[in-house]
This record gives sequence, structure tokens and C-alpha cells, in this order.
Amino acid sequence: MNNFDDLIDREGLSPDQEARLRRVHDLLVQAGPPPDLPPALERPPTAPADAEVVQFPHLPRRRLAIAAVAAIALVVLAFGGGYLVGHGKPTSFATKRVVPMHGGNALALLRVAPRDSAGNWPMQLEVNNLPTQHDPRAYYELWLTRDGKPLALCGSFRVNARTTTVRLSVPYNFKSFTGWVVTRQAANEHEPGPVVLTT
Amino acid sequence: MRPVTTDGELIQRAATGDHSAFEDLYHRYARPVFGLALRRLGDRGRAEDAVQETFASIWRSAASYRPERGPGAPWLYAVARNAIVDRARSRTEVPSDIPDEAASGPGPSDRVEQGWVAWRVHRALEELPEREREVLALAYWSGLSQSEVAEFLSIPLGTVKTRTRAALAKLSDLLGDDLQ
Repeated sequence: MNNFDDLIDREGLSPDQEARLRRVHDLLVQAGPPPDLPPALERPPTAPADAEVVQFPHLPRRRLAIAAVAAIALVVLAFGGGYLVGHGKPTSFATKRVVPMHGGNALALLRVAPRDSAGNWPMQLEVNNLPTQHDPRAYYELWLTRDGKPLALCGSFRVNARTTTVRLSVPYNFKSFTGWVVTRQAANEHEPGPVVLTT
Repeated sequence: MRPVTTDGELIQRAATGDHSAFEDLYHRYARPVFGLALRRLGDRGRAEDAVQETFASIWRSAASYRPERGPGAPWLYAVARNAIVDRARSRTEVPSDIPDEAASGPGPSDRVEQGWVAWRVHRALEELPEREREVLALAYWSGLSQSEVAEFLSIPLGTVKTRTRAALAKLSDLLGDDLQ
């Protein structure tokens, strides 16, 4: 470590100026070097620009605001986790609509692609902060709901500790439903379990 | 050389859903947050998670910032510290053996003080021109002498000294009250 007198040419400095530079020097020494940012954190988060947020009928305006915040926060989390940088999948998934979901500290972003020629809606679900299930037979399920009641199963999945992304596909007519939920399923449980995420 | 837009103004804009303001905050504070998390958690993976949680918290709670209660940096520091402490608590394991003697490292208040200093200094470094930040990093943390820094960067020794002094002077302005 260089000392102040080695580093700074003091010529022309007033005593007050020198004292201030010495104080800065001391703070630099005390602070130590700033860390190198890992690649996953080098770029700021960005929101998807080409997708619209789905507004289901009967979804109150206040909950839409919460959902929008949840969507942005999830984008932050997903980006910070290196998902966008490392895999670039969101750009490879032709997103037509984005459905934000939230519950407790967990967030999710459901991307819906244009309907394929066979009549299916490809979907990509990004989930963050849902608890990892210790029972290897436990899992989560995504449901379409009407008036809060799970009616149509869209798929099952497990999560890791960070952002989990799964691809699903359903043939349903979304206009028949009013929202989505994610439920927690215990082993051998065939009815919808407790809701952990909702639109 | 104060930033054109203050941290507090950016927080208030972020609270209204302004993405560009949020991105500016990220550029300014990603490194200080990561540094703070790394100090506290001692693990890069967990520190990365803490950065994610911090910025998610900033976005969620920006509306709770009150400019009349103080500038933005301490508010951001508090949000970051809470996210990092939560992350630390979530993985705390009960030690199997209780040590007989107190740890010799800095106590909690010293650690808070050190964390705050590093936070402010690292944040201020982000405001320096790249060529000055580079000279400071080499001069303070690479172990190179001024002559070796000059050789490394292929610039005259006088230029190294000029940039170092200019960088410290700018930091002096940026750090302001912290120099008291």
C-alpha cells in the first residue's frame, strides 16, 4: 500500500486542502477495494418491452398495480440471477402476453406465446422465491381459475432456491377464465392444494 | 462534481414506476450493495442473491422514501442492510461448539461503521472518470508503486500523480460530510 506522501504531489496545496485529501486517502484505505461485479450483475434489469400485461376480467385495479410491481421485481430478480445474461431465453420465447403473479415473498412471471397451429398456447413460467420442497414427491401446479377457484390444470413443476423456469402448453380458451394460481401439492395429492401465487 | 440527479430524486421517480430512474440507481449502487453483501455474507453466491433482493426491495418500497427525512444514500443503505441481514439469517446455522473466548474481529458497531464508509466510498468511486478510477485502483489496491502504475498504463509518472490528486479532490467533493 502506498502512503499519502508517496501518492500525492502536495505542491500548491493549502493546509486545508491537504487535510481533506488526507482524509479521503484514509477513507479509501479503510474502505478497501470495491468488488468486481459478477457478470450476472453487470447490467441493470430491463422490463420486457414487447409484451402486454394481461388484464383478466374481474381483476381489481389495485391488484393489477401490485401485479405490475411484482412483474418488474421478478424481472429484476431473474436478471440479477443471471438468467437473462446466461441464457437469453426470454428473447428466444416469442412472448405475446405477460401475466405477473405474486404471493408472500414469491413472484412469478407467466409468458404466453402466440397460439400454435395445433391450437396450443405455449407458456413459459419464471418463478422466484417459492420455497424448495424437501419431499421429492411434492411439487407445484399452475391452474387457470374462475372466480378464484382452480378449474383447469396447466402443468406441474418443482423449484430450486432461485429462479426456476419451466415451459408448459395448454389448449384452453383463456376467455373462459378469470385468473391463474399456483398451488402447493403434497405427494399423492390430486386436488388443488393451498394457493401460493395468484394473479 | 455532484451527480446531476440526486439519489433521492431517483428513488422518488422509481416510486412512480420510472424504469430509467431505477436503472440509474442500479448503476450507481450495484457495486456498493454487492460489496456490502460480500463483507457481511462472505460468499459471492449469497451476495449475488442479496443484491437481487435489495433491488427488488428498492423497487417495492421506493414509495416509502421520505426526502424530508434525509438524502437517498442512507435510505438505500438501510434497505440493502435489511436485505443482507435477512439473507444472513436465512442460512444461519447453530454452531456445534460454543467458543470460550470472544471473537477478536471488529464488533457490530465497528462493522456497521466500516460498512457505511465502504458504501459511501465505493458509491463515490462510481462517479469518477474511468481513467482516474483506474489509477486509484492500481495505486491503492494493486500493490504497484506510482512508477509501476505509470509503466503499467504506459503514461508518464507525472500524469499518474496528476490523476491521483485530481481523483482524490473529486472524491473529497463527492464525500462531503463524510470528511468531517
